Amino acid sequence: MVLNSGLPPVLAVSNLVKRYRNGTLANDGISLALQPGEIYGLLGPNGAGKTTLVRQVLGVLRPTSGSISLDGIDVVADPGSARRKIGFLPQGQCDFLGLHVSEMIEYSARLRGMSGSAARRRRDELIEQLDLGSFATTQMHAASGGVRRLAGFAAAIAAPARLLVLDEPTNDVDPIRRQVLWNTIGDLGQQGATVLLVTHNLAEAERFIDRLAIIDGGRIVREGTPSSLRSLVTERLRLELSLSGDVAPHPALTPEPAATGSYLLDQRDLAAVSGWLHALREAGLLLDFRIGPPTLDDIYTAVVAPQRELEAVL
Amino acid sequence: MKALRQYRDLTSMQIRSMRTDLPMIAVIHIAFSVGLVLGYGYLIPDISEATATYLVTGTATQAFVTVGLVMLPQMLSQSKAEGRLEYYLTMPISRELYLLSLISVVAITSLPAVFFALAFGAWHYDLSFHVEPAFIAVAVLAVLSLAGVGVAMAVWSNHPQVVNGFTQLVIFYVLFFSPVLLPASQLPDLLEHTAKLAPPTYAADGIRGTLTDLPSSNVGKDLSVMGGFAVASIALSAFAIRRRG
Repeated sequence: MVLNSGLPPVLAVSNLVKRYRNGTLANDGISLALQPGEIYGLLGPNGAGKTTLVRQVLGVLRPTSGSISLDGIDVVADPGSARRKIGFLPQGQCDFLGLHVSEMIEYSARLRGMSGSAARRRRDELIEQLDLGSFATTQMHAASGGVRRLAGFAAAIAAPARLLVLDEPTNDVDPIRRQVLWNTIGDLGQQGATVLLVTHNLAEAERFIDRLAIIDGGRIVREGTPSSLRSLVTERLRLELSLSGDVAPHPALTPEPAATGSYLLDQRDLAAVSGWLHALREAGLLLDFRIGPPTLDDIYTAVVAPQRELEAVL
Repeated sequence: MKALRQYRDLTSMQIRSMRTDLPMIAVIHIAFSVGLVLGYGYLIPDISEATATYLVTGTATQAFVTVGLVMLPQMLSQSKAEGRLEYYLTMPISRELYLLSLISVVAITSLPAVFFALAFGAWHYDLSFHVEPAFIAVAVLAVLSLAGVGVAMAVWSNHPQVVNGFTQLVIFYVLFFSPVLLPASQLPDLLEHTAKLAPPTYAADGIRGTLTDLPSSNVGKDLSVMGGFAVASIALSAFAIRRRG
């Protein structure tokens, strides 16, 4: 990751507001700045406003107010010029069913301005790098979800771009290729590419992210480096439990909504919970457990869940 | 030069992305056109040469309609609903060239059915056609106007089901209630007048005017009206996909 904080940001979003015609306020005053070479994570629950933000950055949705600048270009006024500087992997479909995997990559490179020979060279490079050789002539509709995802990723990074917007890049990708994909994203950061990464796969992403923002209700509720955000939950530990019966969790445990059998606990309650685990083991109800430090998942849960509870009360 | 390269890339990308479906689509449309030529003939046992000529040229027009005004809007609205259209729009490509490439694919897809309708009809009813040079202009503007209106339908509607339903009505109208396959004089006044607002009417008239000696064709007027429909619909579509919510 090559961070050049002295340089102007590659992407600068300022006071961005998007209210849809039906009245939904999807983005409510979002501001962020991505430095050259930075890998910036965007986290948030479904409906938080991440996709709306991304669509405005891509110039396919006009903000209600606020500004977006990409490499000095006003995205709102001149989205066409801005698009020439962006590589994009959408969360949904980006594949053209009858195209071969190799054609998908090559056409993306050509349409993003590369010459025919350069596009073919880049296609071959990416096929080798992402281990897609055995699928190069597979039609997209016949490829597995993971291969289609990788082909879409390759298409997004096929041509040089100032900003890469990657929305859930590892969905459906097998563990080995997922590692290759993360390494490629890391390499892109090392080479100076700026990456806006939308993901729920925090455990994997946190090794590569320089900074992240947690977005909820259309607002950025926390922003910082993974280590600075981890300090929000340093008092907490993560407990993963596998039980054989219907056992109520210890009162000190806070269940994680996104992961069954996963709980957060305050370090001060560790002794009490250890005693409870011991008792369960004695009773033959404890199959397995694991206690570890907090992850980005825990930060996310710690930040978003209280926000939701507050909104429910109000 | 750059625009030409982009148009070529977009068109070949779309053709290749439909490589599995295109042959099947072409065969189905050929079968549909040949079926119409035969089927309508069964309705009229002692069909006259003029009626057969009207039927065969109407069937050729119908092939343009089925692909441009039915298949294309259905595919495009589905693509829009699934987010594929927006993916195209996130690329640094010209919106107009993208639309033009879509329409080109439609033209290529419909040509075999048009050819087979004319060739099979000529053989089956022992007809002869005299192709005037203006036929090429008529065919190009027929595709541009019909597919242009088809694209406009798809990009202005947010509901693929509505587009699908509407396109079914279009084909129903063209087959049974328009001067494409039925002489205008046999239609009720209301349909005869409303047909003046429908681009298939001018496509059919232009095809007849440049292939046959059937009376009452005004090719100049047909070309003008189809040109108007093409420009207006493509401009409206480009405006729709340039809109950013």
